[in-house]
Amino acid sequence: MQQQENQKFQELIEQHKGILIKVARTYCQDPEDRQDLIQEIMIRVWQSFHKYDDTFKISTWLYRISINVAISFYRKNVLRKFRNIPLHNQEEPAEGVEMYDTEQQLNLLEKFINELKELDKALLLLYLEEKSHAEIADILGISTGNVGTKVGRIKDKLKYRFSKNKNN
Amino acid sequence: MKELWQSSNTKLEEVITITRKNTEDITRLKVNHFLSSMKPLKIFTVLAGFIWVGFGTVILINIITFHFSQASLFFLLSAGVQILLTAIALIIYIYQLIVIYQVDMGGSVVATQEKLSLLKSSTIWIARILFLQLPLWTTFYLNESIFSNGQTFLHIIQAIVTFAFAYLSIWLFFNIKYENKDKKWFRLLFAGKEWTPIIKSLELYREIEEFKKEKVYFPA
Repeated sequence: MQQQENQKFQELIEQHKGILIKVARTYCQDPEDRQDLIQEIMIRVWQSFHKYDDTFKISTWLYRISINVAISFYRKNVLRKFRNIPLHNQEEPAEGVEMYDTEQQLNLLEKFINELKELDKALLLLYLEEKSHAEIADILGISTGNVGTKVGRIKDKLKYRFSKNKNN
Repeated sequence: MKELWQSSNTKLEEVITITRKNTEDITRLKVNHFLSSMKPLKIFTVLAGFIWVGFGTVILINIITFHFSQASLFFLLSAGVQILLTAIALIIYIYQLIVIYQVDMGGSVVATQEKLSLLKSSTIWIARILFLQLPLWTTFYLNESIFSNGQTFLHIIQAIVTFAFAYLSIWLFFNIKYENKDKKWFRLLFAGKEWTPIIKSLELYREIEEFKKEKVYFPA
């Protein structure tokens, strides 16, 4: 019985490790913190494994645990963010450069995410992952109408940020 | 933007590996019991609280039972209220630790974070209650002979100190709140890193309240 449970857990993590990695990437810039956060999420998933309610999609449940752990983890490690070692170089693009290459756009996106508040980070992550408004509402626990409003606002901010940097 | 994000995630998934050994190690973890989930500092705080309240209660009961006629009422009252306030703070602290431990992380993000941040920020209440003890530290050593034999000058100093501490404790009780978190005295009082998650919880709670509000959106 226990063996079966262990096997199920290992398969679950193997199939959905992308969710854990994406959440860790959204909330932690420091690679060491990121690894710690993934470990912490896996522990909480294992501890809550028996509580899984199958009326929800497994991905919804995993996103909920991962984001909840990430926000709590971030709160505990709030001081560590000041010694971030970013995954990508986060410098602003040099003056006179007309075109952004992929790397620069990614840097800008990561910088933008990093500046967002905790819940907005979760919202943008789910939007970028192309989750439907209904699924985002399920994960976050707000109405679909509210999701639409907040996604619209965050998209505008994102557009503004990119166009501002392009013009500079 | 979505494509960019997703393609970079694929790269990241190749770099960060979660090995079978990682997951196997986790499945070997026993069910996390409340006590084993507590950090050493929290265990120390609870133990120190228990010893203080227990020790104080035993001494007070002993004095009341066997030496009541010789005891100073000032001491009995000051020590009694001090122990009572510490016991209330300790009960709130333990209750809070148990409820935080029981929170289901699989719940929706807003509801779970709201519960967690509200519970964590209630630690501020513990600080407010403990500050109420301040004037008691200026009265426990008083006795009747001080009043009958002491000098007026010393009585005046005693009254000033006691009233100043009483005023300060009441002022702190009403002013230790989120709205004052950026004030200099507040930051000085809650400067240690153990307070950082509490202050962060207060901020997050406000953020959640704001996040839950539905507002009309006008596209740019």
